[in-house]
Amino acid sequence: MTSSLRKFGLLLMCVSLACAVPRLLAKKKDKVPASSPTEQKRAVHALNRLTFGARPGDVEQVMATGVDAWIDSQLRPERIPDNAVESRLISFRTLRMSSREIVEEFPDNQMIKQVMDGKKPMPSDPARRAVFQVQIARLQDKKEDKKEEKKESAALVPAQAPAPVPGSPAASDTAKTAEELAAAAAASGDAAGNAPNNLADANAMSASSSASTSETSMAPPAEPKSTPVDDPEARRREDRLYADLKVQGLIDFPPDQRYKKVMTMSADEQVAFADSLRGGKGQEVLAGLDPRQKETLLAMNNPQAVVSDELVQAKLLRAIYSERQLEEVMTDFWFNHFNVFVNKGADRVLLTNYEQDVIRPRALGKFEDLLVATAKSPAMLFYLDNWLSVGPRSMQALGIPPRAVGPYGPYRPRRYPGRNPNANEKRKANSGLNENYGRELLELHTLSVNGGYSQRDVTEVAKVFTGWTIDKPFEGGGFRFEPRMHEPGPKFVLGHRIKPKGEEEGREVLRRLATSPQTAHFISLKLAQRFVSDDPPPALVDRMAKTFEKKKGDIREVLTTLFHSPEFWADGTYRAKVKTPLEFVASAVRATGADVDDAMPLARKLGDMGMPLYGAQPPTGYSMKADTWVSSSALLNRMNFALALTSGKVHGMKLDVTQLAGGPPPPDATSALSALETKLLAADVSKQTHDSIVAQIEAPAKTRAPDQPDKNKKSPQRKPADVTRPPDASTIAGLLLGSPEFQRK
Amino acid sequence: MSLTRRIFLRNSALAVVGTAAVPSFLTRAAFGVAEGGMSNKRLVVIFQRGAADGLNIVVPYAEPQYYALRPSINIPRKAVIDLDGRFGLHPSLAAFQPLWQQRHLAIVHAAGSPDTTRSHFDAQDFMETGTPGVKAIEDGWLNRSLHNLPPLPQKSAFRAIALGPSVPRILSGSEPAVAMNNINDFSVGGKNPKASPAANAFEAMYDHSSDSVLHGTGEETFDAVKMLKAADPGKYTAAAGANYPKGRFGESLRQLAQLIKANLGVQVAFADIGGWDHHVNEGATEGQLANVLSDFSQALAAFWTDLGNLGEETVVVTMSEFGRTARENGNRGTDHGHANVMFVLGGPVKGGKVYGRWPGLDQSQLYEGRDLALTTDFRQVIGEAVDRHMGNKNLAAVFPGFDIQPGKFLKLLG
Repeated sequence: MTSSLRKFGLLLMCVSLACAVPRLLAKKKDKVPASSPTEQKRAVHALNRLTFGARPGDVEQVMATGVDAWIDSQLRPERIPDNAVESRLISFRTLRMSSREIVEEFPDNQMIKQVMDGKKPMPSDPARRAVFQVQIARLQDKKEDKKEEKKESAALVPAQAPAPVPGSPAASDTAKTAEELAAAAAASGDAAGNAPNNLADANAMSASSSASTSETSMAPPAEPKSTPVDDPEARRREDRLYADLKVQGLIDFPPDQRYKKVMTMSADEQVAFADSLRGGKGQEVLAGLDPRQKETLLAMNNPQAVVSDELVQAKLLRAIYSERQLEEVMTDFWFNHFNVFVNKGADRVLLTNYEQDVIRPRALGKFEDLLVATAKSPAMLFYLDNWLSVGPRSMQALGIPPRAVGPYGPYRPRRYPGRNPNANEKRKANSGLNENYGRELLELHTLSVNGGYSQRDVTEVAKVFTGWTIDKPFEGGGFRFEPRMHEPGPKFVLGHRIKPKGEEEGREVLRRLATSPQTAHFISLKLAQRFVSDDPPPALVDRMAKTFEKKKGDIREVLTTLFHSPEFWADGTYRAKVKTPLEFVASAVRATGADVDDAMPLARKLGDMGMPLYGAQPPTGYSMKADTWVSSSALLNRMNFALALTSGKVHGMKLDVTQLAGGPPPPDATSALSALETKLLAADVSKQTHDSIVAQIEAPAKTRAPDQPDKNKKSPQRKPADVTRPPDASTIAGLLLGSPEFQRK
Repeated sequence: MSLTRRIFLRNSALAVVGTAAVPSFLTRAAFGVAEGGMSNKRLVVIFQRGAADGLNIVVPYAEPQYYALRPSINIPRKAVIDLDGRFGLHPSLAAFQPLWQQRHLAIVHAAGSPDTTRSHFDAQDFMETGTPGVKAIEDGWLNRSLHNLPPLPQKSAFRAIALGPSVPRILSGSEPAVAMNNINDFSVGGKNPKASPAANAFEAMYDHSSDSVLHGTGEETFDAVKMLKAADPGKYTAAAGANYPKGRFGESLRQLAQLIKANLGVQVAFADIGGWDHHVNEGATEGQLANVLSDFSQALAAFWTDLGNLGEETVVVTMSEFGRTARENGNRGTDHGHANVMFVLGGPVKGGKVYGRWPGLDQSQLYEGRDLALTTDFRQVIGEAVDRHMGNKNLAAVFPGFDIQPGKFLKLLG
């Protein structure tokens, strides 16, 4: 109550300051046509579109504030206090870390290998040390496994595929190519993470099944038959058994001692302990630990998953609890527009900063700022490969050693092969353009696919951005312009000659793209698709695009045009959008007023629904249109989620449906239905939905028992009690959240 | 499995869904009895999303130019699985070799969409609508291919099925299509009979909903749920020797085989596999492309083995939105290109042959000086499958605006 009063006070202040916007709004309000929906419907609509769904009491609060004033307040998120959500995020330390700090504390394979090979010191802090020890031990295990497999599959190749693959040359080639593979996978971070495992599994399987047949004839003489295969396997099994016992034992200790026990375990035991946490298991062991201890133990199993899990949890918790709802909606919008996939190599640790420092602070700012910030972000540079793109005539490509000329000085396009023995090798690896970013910059970030550019423009833009790279990407480094990678000479982009001026060329192209009418139109269209309808009225998009151009890409201004357009408030717009899975899940949790402690179970549900957070692999991001999200699979998932949520089967949260339904004591089904319709769907429920639930309440035995044509098919196993009990409040709430109207916003 | 256990399974399944009457043919379907007169011909489309590198998949190893264009990522002559003295399979496609030798597998090289876009999104859309360059078309060709086909003796919710969380463009349209992420949790409220009232209420809500989008999908969903419960495809385990690789694609095909074996009336089906967009460190005989190729070929080979005799009436076609640059780029990868390679697998396929005219890889032969040129429009390939295999002769309606002439088919179906 006090907080809402405070908010109201803030708003009054804002109004009394007589800033131009509210006055404008007041004027616009007079113009709203006579057929406009009632104030309550307007409040519901505004909440549907500007937030992740209404919470109990939100509609009343927006009405009390005044719908227009509330919209204006959402456009100024910096003035909205958001302590409640901040305190929910306090335990996620990675949110407040730089990329560099994240990499150091939650190392990736690169970092672990460097410590393993002695190139970097083992950390002295016992918690960090434990994380490294387990990962190093696992890497060494894997290495040994690979060796075993290689020996056996090399022996097997001729037996399996006699004709085409020549035996011994292939076998002797294997080592070289396998090393290359490892290097390549390490460098790229290997987006398709589990593919190599599949391969390994398949190899292992075929190896064991036919090892005996191949042994006599095929094993190359240089490779003596390996030591018994099951020896290390048996040892590992024993360790695991032992560790399981130890983990079981751990639970009996109070939290702090439990943590200390793990820290003082031997490396082998720590590995086994970490194994016991795999697949989200071992929650009992983690219970009661402080957040930092929990993080450390989870990191022992999978350091980088801690980073992405915290990011995912924070996103859900913000969507559910932040008071700055429009800012969160817009952060989601821009992240999706400038999509980066979390499972591509270094991006696992770069996304935290990408969202917090690049996207969110600019979500309602100027488009050009956002465009430049994404272009320079290590996350984007890595995701779309620009950090590797090298001008074909750049100093690096031509193999001119660093000190031969100054960074901007002239040079002769001649090679110096003798100078640097590694120059040739380097040149092979990184010596040319990579068009990936250039193309998506034009197609997805700015002009759109119909924006009138050619393949030549793509190539020229790629040249412009050569040298925009990352300073040590696997160590959390930042943006760096590397003149040696930059393509010299002028470029021609969209009919303009870009003078050679190094990093400035990229800035010039970004400026041109950000101020292009095509970009203004494309961004306006996407915003209108998000906030109005899948096929928004062209006249509205044109007006938004005009604002975009006139106000120099000011996103807040474009949204103001949108939120005060008659199209946004038209009857046909109300509940015209089908929720995405994220919107559905967040709105369901918000509607019930649930208290989420652990958001990972919700995140996993989103994965089942085809929308893993930060998990869109293509640069297009997720679709915001209904046709993608309306399918049999999706509907079943939503119905099941709704039922699971309201019956307390989604872990990690507290939810009191009885109270939501007007209890305690538990109300009868009919009054529960009426109360829940008001709370969950603002009492705007279709007759069909209402009647379907009433039918279940009123005539339980008749409609609930399966009406089968053939009596003989009745199973003796059926328990009549299960089908005659009238639905309780939690089932009714689940039915409402799974209803057609709750799928819309 | 004993009869009593079967009956128990079926009835407990029905009890979960409850409500409306289950058509009698379902009980027969559940026993796996083939319907007399039911058309069992089916077309399965596989989409390799992300633009697969056709030149490293079916390698033109006899072309010196191939090796010149790809100094660090080529597949060495001695590593390819030779097909015909000109082309060879990437070694990770070893699982395809028996299918090729048995002449069930045909290859069409330098095929794809004639549109020049190098946008993943647009190019995929064009190959799914079957109308390259025309964005106004909303429905997909695989959906349209069902128009005008003689109706099945019984309505089936599984006639058109996509393995995945959503119905892709290729299957969207006026024919009902069902998307299934996982057949094992394709029900309301789990396997607990308690869920029955909720399932009934949901069904009533969606059946009577005035929401046209959700109503249609809801109706299809509940039909499919009922059929699936009755047929219980879970009991059709993979055939001996059908070793599906772990992962989403293998799982999709394993479940598709279950649906087909359960005789649910599948006529057209779709599955996709991602992870082909290798701008950096594509790899050669090993590496990123090799890994995804193993997954791809092992899953398809397992699917083929699993289908057994049902393969005789099945045609599988693979496609990808465009190929990749003939030249490797600066990062041992490849950028977006043009023509690609297609695989056609099935009983009626005249396999063991590389179809299509090979355009060559000399600088002057490359499309825009950088990509493999296109000599076969992908619609010629799928058009032949739609016409000759599925029996839909109205190709003008399936591929509007494309002058498709049965006389010009590659004749890869017998």
